[in-house]
Amino acid sequence: MEAQNRNISYLESRKLVKRWRGPLPAIANLLMIFALFGVTWWIFQDPRGIMRMYTPYVGYMICRWMLILLIWVAYIFDFWPFKRSWLNKAHPVTKGVVLTTVSVVAMMLLIKGFFMGLLGQYGIAYFSPDRLHAMGLTEFYAEEYSTEAIMMFAAIASWLAPSWVVACENAPWQKLTQPARGITIAVVTFFLSTIVYFLTMHSHMAILFDPWQKYTAITPPYWEGFANTVSGNFHIAWIMSCTVTVWVYESIWERYPFNLIKTNWLRRTSAFFGIIAVALCMCFFIYYAQDLMWGETVRGTRREMAPDWRWLHVGETAIFWLVGVLGLNFYGGNWPTKFSRPVNVFLRTIISLLIGGAVYVLYYKYAHLFLGTQKGFAHPQQFPMIPMIWLINIALINQWFMDGWPGWKAVPKTETELNEVESAVIAHDVSWTPSLARGLAVGATAGVTIYFGVINILPWISQNVQIIK
Amino acid sequence: MTDDITTPRRNFVKGVATGVIGGTLAGMGFYSYTNSAYSRLPKVAREQQEFGAVRSVKVTAISETSWFNNAHLMEDIQKSGGLLVDQYTIGWGPFGNGKGPGKGSYEEGIAKIKKMIPGDLEEAWALQEKSSLHPDNPGGFSTLIEVEDLDGSKHKYLLDTGWSYAWMDQSFKREGIDQMLKSGEIEALIQTHEHFDHFFGFPVAMKYNNKLPLYIHNGFYKEGRQYIVDSGYKGDPIVVDKELTPIRPGMMLMKFDVPIICRVFGETSLAFNVKDKGLVLISGCNHQGILQMTSTAMKKLKYDNDRFYGLYGGLHISPFEDWDPKYDDLVISLGKWNFEKVGCNHCTGHLTARKFIERGYPVVRGTARFRSSTPDYLGNGDTITFG
Ligand SMILES: [Fe+2]
Ligand SMILES: [Fe+2]
Repeated sequence: MEAQNRNISYLESRKLVKRWRGPLPAIANLLMIFALFGVTWWIFQDPRGIMRMYTPYVGYMICRWMLILLIWVAYIFDFWPFKRSWLNKAHPVTKGVVLTTVSVVAMMLLIKGFFMGLLGQYGIAYFSPDRLHAMGLTEFYAEEYSTEAIMMFAAIASWLAPSWVVACENAPWQKLTQPARGITIAVVTFFLSTIVYFLTMHSHMAILFDPWQKYTAITPPYWEGFANTVSGNFHIAWIMSCTVTVWVYESIWERYPFNLIKTNWLRRTSAFFGIIAVALCMCFFIYYAQDLMWGETVRGTRREMAPDWRWLHVGETAIFWLVGVLGLNFYGGNWPTKFSRPVNVFLRTIISLLIGGAVYVLYYKYAHLFLGTQKGFAHPQQFPMIPMIWLINIALINQWFMDGWPGWKAVPKTETELNEVESAVIAHDVSWTPSLARGLAVGATAGVTIYFGVINILPWISQNVQIIK
Repeated sequence: MTDDITTPRRNFVKGVATGVIGGTLAGMGFYSYTNSAYSRLPKVAREQQEFGAVRSVKVTAISETSWFNNAHLMEDIQKSGGLLVDQYTIGWGPFGNGKGPGKGSYEEGIAKIKKMIPGDLEEAWALQEKSSLHPDNPGGFSTLIEVEDLDGSKHKYLLDTGWSYAWMDQSFKREGIDQMLKSGEIEALIQTHEHFDHFFGFPVAMKYNNKLPLYIHNGFYKEGRQYIVDSGYKGDPIVVDKELTPIRPGMMLMKFDVPIICRVFGETSLAFNVKDKGLVLISGCNHQGILQMTSTAMKKLKYDNDRFYGLYGGLHISPFEDWDPKYDDLVISLGKWNFEKVGCNHCTGHLTARKFIERGYPVVRGTARFRSSTPDYLGNGDTITFG
């Protein structure tokens, strides 16, 4: 039976096979990705380059929405309206160009048509640069404010849209065909994103104006006491952690451990909320880790010492990990694969953290030499997420749209492999036994010990290691 | 694989691998952001370095109007590509090359006027007005600081040199700075940072004294260092590379290494210990953040009464009349620090000054003379004395 008829998505129906043996494919792809990054960065983003969208918020908005569009095309719409036969036959480069162009056009329609046009003209003024400008803001800040708001929306969608596919397994619409399923899930996740937007970012936008827009938004925002700031960056922290956790769960964790749950609704719900729980753990830890490294925040300061920046930096740090995660998954063959799944998951977690940590260090040490930015951790107008997401977007285009060309090629999965895809939703490789329970207890104790070890060592590291000279 | 001996062991290993991640996450989630976690933070010892004292500090705002039309300034920045674009390439005077926003260069700009600076600034600026963006917009930021020692002797310093040659020369003459420079009465020029509105007017000071001691932050870019040479400076700039540099007893230069918009790196600001009063902080732009500066001074320096007494400067909060919730964090928290006297202007922003006043902070009002736009803060020609 054809994969499509069995409702297996294109990405799951193909197998990426290395074209050459050894590390050559990974080297070739990484080289291509970095070359594409360099060229497109110069054309679109670089403050010394051609279009200079890194104003910063215009470029920030573009890279985030591009990510959403890639997710929509590949994950939510399963490449509809493109035919499966075309996806299987067309040259990867042709596919890459066509699908990227479609994504960009759709993104522009959404930004200009929906947010700035419809919503900005007839609903909420701050989505429209024209309206803000007409009310007396400088043209520059009119554009920065509205693109900031639109960008924040994308941040939320970058967590919720893939969550519905990865955690909720498209339920309850998994049986619908395209485009009905895509439209349904896009609409539902868009709706949820809207709610989360109002609960998290609307107040942030409302206090950009004087006086605070208290009749339309809760001001000062409800999180002020908890987060020690009125800035919506507090939400960026946990929402970006959620985005990262979704992909960790999907790629290097292979949906472990929630895929052990056999009851469909319970598995899906646990995965959805489990991702949030993991993200919150990560979020609070990264915030605390910064306080251990740089000293406790002082509210009202700027940059490294300010709570709002530290929350932002939680999200930034998480994204560095995502680079490590996707790098390992795409170009490292999700290594290792030879042990049992929990062991693989554990080792991949460590490896991806090491890669992410290395990218973090390299970024802060050297990125300013290439990106047209300046050195330093905190610059009020610099966002490391812009280059990182830009890089991730290019890797996703390479992986999803171009089947990993040139190092890899797509081969349709065999009947047996397709059956495995279907049965892999529920994992059977770990079951409850006394020895597993003992292992869990020992592991958990070790985990807690590791945690306390790390928080004890961080202040020492901050005393002895200097990333930026 | 499933024989009786290895299976329990394999299960145990699976459990350990899962448990380690779970246990670590549990620690991260349940402990990190709690009071007990914060009670473990190492207490930072205050160094409280003694640095002497002064009797008083008098500040004169020679010019705080960095530019006259904010929309025009922002238009130039926007057309050039935003807030990260190198200031020398935007196309502003005196480095305009006539090629349009974002297409300028230091070399092309300076080539046109090199022969005229610092001798013939009027001609240089008039020439630049033909090739730079919004040539009437530049003003500048420059401040005179008069320090009274404990023995009553007075010492003058110039903080920053503004932007437009024409405007700065006029402002210098209005406050008599030209004569003070000529006579050597001004003991040093402290160039806080490289920003256009604080530094592009550098040749105006050189016109009157090209040998006076000059302090610059070691983050100055090569264009900035070249500009100092091209402006005819004949001394040896003191490149500040330490966190604290004493200028005289009771007067300390503090260095902050921060990346700043328009491709500038680093700023220096001044701290004073006013006898029997306390700490006074004076800044050009204060890109590092006023509370960041205050808390650094609190950690490093010893001052009378252990009290924050005064604040003066551009406080870089909403320089472009823009806003961000983090500025509200400052507006909300500043009160806790109990400054007795706050003198602000320039890149503090009108909205910020108004929000300070609404909260009842002791903001010293100005007179809105010489093109300063609001009496909410200290304007051109206004003075404030600490001590
Ligand atoms: Fe300034
Ligand atoms: Fe400045």
